[in-house]
Amino acid sequence: MVALDTVVSIETPEHIVFQHRVAGPARRAIAHLVDLVLCYLALFILSALVLFVAVGMSSFGSALDDTLKLGIGVLLVLAFLAQWVWFVAWEGLRGDTPGKRALGLRVVTVTGRPIGFSHAVLRNVLRAADMLPTGYLVGCTAMALSPRFQRIGDMVAGTLVVFADRARAHAAQRHALWPPPYPHELEAVPPEVLLDAEERAALELFLRRRGTLGPAREHELASVIVAPLALRHGWRGPILDPVRTLCLLYDRAADTGRVDAPASSRVLPGAAGR
Amino acid sequence: MSATHAPKESAFVERRRADWDELDGLVNTAQTKGPKKLLPASLARLPALYRDVCADLARAQAARYGAPLLEYLQGLTASAHAVLYGKPSRALASRLAEPGAEGRATSALYAFPRAVRRRWRAVALAAALFFVPLVAGLLVSQLDPTFAFRIVPQAMLEPLTEAYAKGFAEGRTTGEGTLMTGFYVNNNVGIALRCFALGIFGGLGSALYLVHNGLSIGAILGYVASQGAGANVFTFVVGHGSFELGAIVLAGAAGLSVGWSIVAPGDRTRAASLEAVARDVVIIVAGASVMLLFAAGIEGFWSGSSVEPMVKRSVGAALAVLVIAYLGLAGRGGRRA
Repeated sequence: MVALDTVVSIETPEHIVFQHRVAGPARRAIAHLVDLVLCYLALFILSALVLFVAVGMSSFGSALDDTLKLGIGVLLVLAFLAQWVWFVAWEGLRGDTPGKRALGLRVVTVTGRPIGFSHAVLRNVLRAADMLPTGYLVGCTAMALSPRFQRIGDMVAGTLVVFADRARAHAAQRHALWPPPYPHELEAVPPEVLLDAEERAALELFLRRRGTLGPAREHELASVIVAPLALRHGWRGPILDPVRTLCLLYDRAADTGRVDAPASSRVLPGAAGR
Repeated sequence: MSATHAPKESAFVERRRADWDELDGLVNTAQTKGPKKLLPASLARLPALYRDVCADLARAQAARYGAPLLEYLQGLTASAHAVLYGKPSRALASRLAEPGAEGRATSALYAFPRAVRRRWRAVALAAALFFVPLVAGLLVSQLDPTFAFRIVPQAMLEPLTEAYAKGFAEGRTTGEGTLMTGFYVNNNVGIALRCFALGIFGGLGSALYLVHNGLSIGAILGYVASQGAGANVFTFVVGHGSFELGAIVLAGAAGLSVGWSIVAPGDRTRAASLEAVARDVVIIVAGASVMLLFAAGIEGFWSGSSVEPMVKRSVGAALAVLVIAYLGLAGRGGRRA
């Protein structure tokens, strides 16, 4: 796999390494905004209810002032809950907040396990430090310096904010060609294609972006790599369309599956000299 | 060129997908309904399936199968890992407390004073940083009342003095009590949590908070006393003082511990050093917050009430002894972790 800088590898006791994609500041900021809106909307509705009841009750009794004061006291406690307890409670119970869930994020420990209440308390109380001096400046600086986008609260609690989504597809998607492969193209595809790791990664990155690049750019990029690849893997025919050729090579390679394909540089020193 | 043959990707997927789908189903059930909703038979299957999928992932990586398959297997392993290994603690109390002979509630009750005693150096330093400025502020502003104006605005001090001078004969209504309690919960717990959080900057934030709060409280008390309402203000403060001031000192001590663990991590990396104090620190902060909730209740409903001053003072003294005894003695002699 390509080691992107937003990927953290976690090794399990079974010595299996799996990866989480950590979330960057922008996505987390949006999740935070969603949480703030939801939290203070809930606070607003509850406050309106409490005040409504307090004022309503006070009109019956003589002590208008007193019931109102009681209501305001309750409001102050609610405001405290909104500021300090909302995040701790959600994350402690479920490992995410409504805002994080809406943006497909989740909090895990640095060892990839779900977080408990103690983690939730630490990372959210230290929010007070991350928010300084204004607008999460300290938190953003910490995230920029951290290889895993951890703000100070995350560092102390030992947590990460990662993408919760998980890939649903079993198998490599066939790269749908339109029009479908012609007989002469299929004949040209070698029966076995052994891509090495770098070739495979390069092709996967390219094919994933296929359709978002624009035909001219796509063609340009494909023609850079198609010649050495076709030569190395024994493409048996003319290369009429580089993009289609790459798709067909990749699809065939996905069906071949073999380890230890030699690095292309060792086999084909001439390819670099173009 | 020697190449080891691995099965074709499609054949591999075909052979293994039944197990993957089964594990996927179990993981989804556990994630949405909770692991306790899994049937015993499924629960028994979970570890075996997880190990097999781990092996599949390793094989797929070695055979360099396509990225979509690897991503699928990685996601499945990661989710199954999360379900299988679970949270480090279901309840704060069960794991943070030492696994002693006591029940869960008792051990949570003991964990707090034990954590406080383990961090006694930080607690002592925090107490000094808080009480020395407090006493200094108290003495200086009694000798020279204008000193208090430099720390707390005059506009705030004068109405305060008038209020205390009146005494508490009128008492407080339920509404006023609730209002003040709400205010104290919002304000004081917030101050304590911030006082802890800012300790991350090498302990400086906590130290600043402690000194500032100590000096302000001392100045207010000294000024009010210098205007002749000393007895009243003492009667007011003594009830909740032990909880409130103690909790602020403890929150500050937690902040100092965190700060020191970064400044001087010793043989450990800074991350490991933080992790080592984090456990105690969470307990102390949680305990201090609970103390402040008590303090807010006492301050709102008791300290301002019309109860006889002598009764208030006796109860206040008893509570202070109780707090100190609890922090100093509770949980001693039990099994230590």
